[in-house]
Amino acid sequence: MTNLAIELSHLTRTYGSRRGISDVNLNVAEGSLFGFLGPNGAGKTTAIRVLLGFLRPTTGTARALNVDCWHDSARLKADVGSIPGDLRLWPWLTGISALKLFASIRRREMIPQGKILADELELDLAVPVRKMSRGMRQKLGLILALAHQPRLLILDEPTTALDPLMQDRLRKILRKMATAGHTVFFSSHTLGEVEELCERIAIVKQGQIVADGTLDDLRANVGREVAIAWQSPADASWPVPSGLTLTSRTQSHWQGTHSGDPRDLLAFLASKPVQDVSITKVDLETLFRRFYE
Amino acid sequence: MQLPIPNLGLIHRALRETLWTTLSLSGALFAIAALLAYALPRVQARFMQRQFIPPGVREFRNAVLCIDSTSGSVGDIAFSIALVHPIIIALLAAHAIIVCTRILAAEVERGTVDVLLALPVTRLALFVSETAAWLFTAFIILFSIYAGCYFGSRFINPDYRPNFTNMILVISNLALVYTVIGTFGLLASVTTDRRVRAVLFVMLITIFSVLINFLYTLDPSLEFTKRLKFLSVLDYYKPSAMLSKGTIPWRDFGNLAGASMTLWTLAAIRLVRRDVTTL
Repeated sequence: MTNLAIELSHLTRTYGSRRGISDVNLNVAEGSLFGFLGPNGAGKTTAIRVLLGFLRPTTGTARALNVDCWHDSARLKADVGSIPGDLRLWPWLTGISALKLFASIRRREMIPQGKILADELELDLAVPVRKMSRGMRQKLGLILALAHQPRLLILDEPTTALDPLMQDRLRKILRKMATAGHTVFFSSHTLGEVEELCERIAIVKQGQIVADGTLDDLRANVGREVAIAWQSPADASWPVPSGLTLTSRTQSHWQGTHSGDPRDLLAFLASKPVQDVSITKVDLETLFRRFYE
Repeated sequence: MQLPIPNLGLIHRALRETLWTTLSLSGALFAIAALLAYALPRVQARFMQRQFIPPGVREFRNAVLCIDSTSGSVGDIAFSIALVHPIIIALLAAHAIIVCTRILAAEVERGTVDVLLALPVTRLALFVSETAAWLFTAFIILFSIYAGCYFGSRFINPDYRPNFTNMILVISNLALVYTVIGTFGLLASVTTDRRVRAVLFVMLITIFSVLINFLYTLDPSLEFTKRLKFLSVLDYYKPSAMLSKGTIPWRDFGNLAGASMTLWTLAAIRLVRRDVTTL
């Protein structure tokens, strides 16, 4: 039986009459890399804030690492590292003083691992926060979230303000942590990075989960992208093969999605004057848009 | 349930954040207390030499100074005036307001609350740690007043110097007044997400206290001030009796301590139970 790092059960959180999240059910296995997607205002940050004990659930439960997120928040956070979507730090801190301070508060050793991470992310720990650029602050926030080797990482837009090289480095670090059994739960707008990094994703729309599974499972539900270019004009009488849904149809081009057995499609195409055909897996951006249309 | 033991790291953080405020205000209080200790005995001696004081002047002076400025020795009255002087009260209140409106309002406003509350301490332990740091800075602030009075008194007629053991009682009473203002600040700060609102609320409370006390002392027959004066913190602070006789006004001490504890407890409950959203 898989251990769960995060269990949200019928979780609802409202702000008066405004909805935050509604009847959310979500399980995240330990040691996985889990992506949490949704547009602005969908409820991602609300869900994260409930996980971190900032908000009490209106109804339902939120548990992480087998403890209740509200009632045992302090105990949970001993094993959690997090970075908020809009990171602010106290301006008088330097990187090294931040590590010392957090180590003192957490009562855990953080400086050796913090220095290793600082080297990997190329951050000078002597610079005070008030003199740091946004990217540097983000790096420091990531170091403070990772240096105590937490069992669960909750990251809200972790690659914000990082250059592509540092984004790569961070992805490498996160992959290494997941391989070592740590759980990474992160929300992002950068779909390519989620696609590259995550084993499972959930898509939230207007406070509810509309998709939850592995990328392959979600793609199988949505189908493949098909584009057909005809050598000679397509005959209007040609039957569209089963499983193929056309989104665009002209005499020279057909475009759409195909779900089901691809052999049916190939059999149809074999007897037709095809100039070119493209059958591709749906990328995450298209998947995301499909769930939003 | 975890015991709310103060976290040394959080205490260190709070002290670091309030360091410059505490040092600058304690320096100012030391200097002002020293100046008042040097100047007021002379002023009071001249005042007491007058054989005739026009009607109303005594009452007005008493109201402004919040003490009976005609009975007692020169030194006792002068130092009582120093210890209840509006500038001293204002600077003390300023320190209490600045320090006590940090949690939670200031942290929410500048966005650092996300990092703070993501740390593995209970909110109650956070509150206790902040309180411990605040009380440490309060000790520095109050000691600077005592030290300023002592320093200033070295340059005056020794006959005008007060009993500095009795002055400890007065400073203790002043400390309780200060903690009431501070705990109002804590309660306001955990209730709102805007520091300005918390500051304004505590300022209004403090101004109300001073005003009610002033009006009542000016004319004790005013009915509404008589009814409301129990709400003024300064009604529980009477330095001249303590300074001259060394008597401990247990009732006043008890009322102020009780008010502080109640406000602190309400603030703690509010902080533990509230939802935290960033702006």
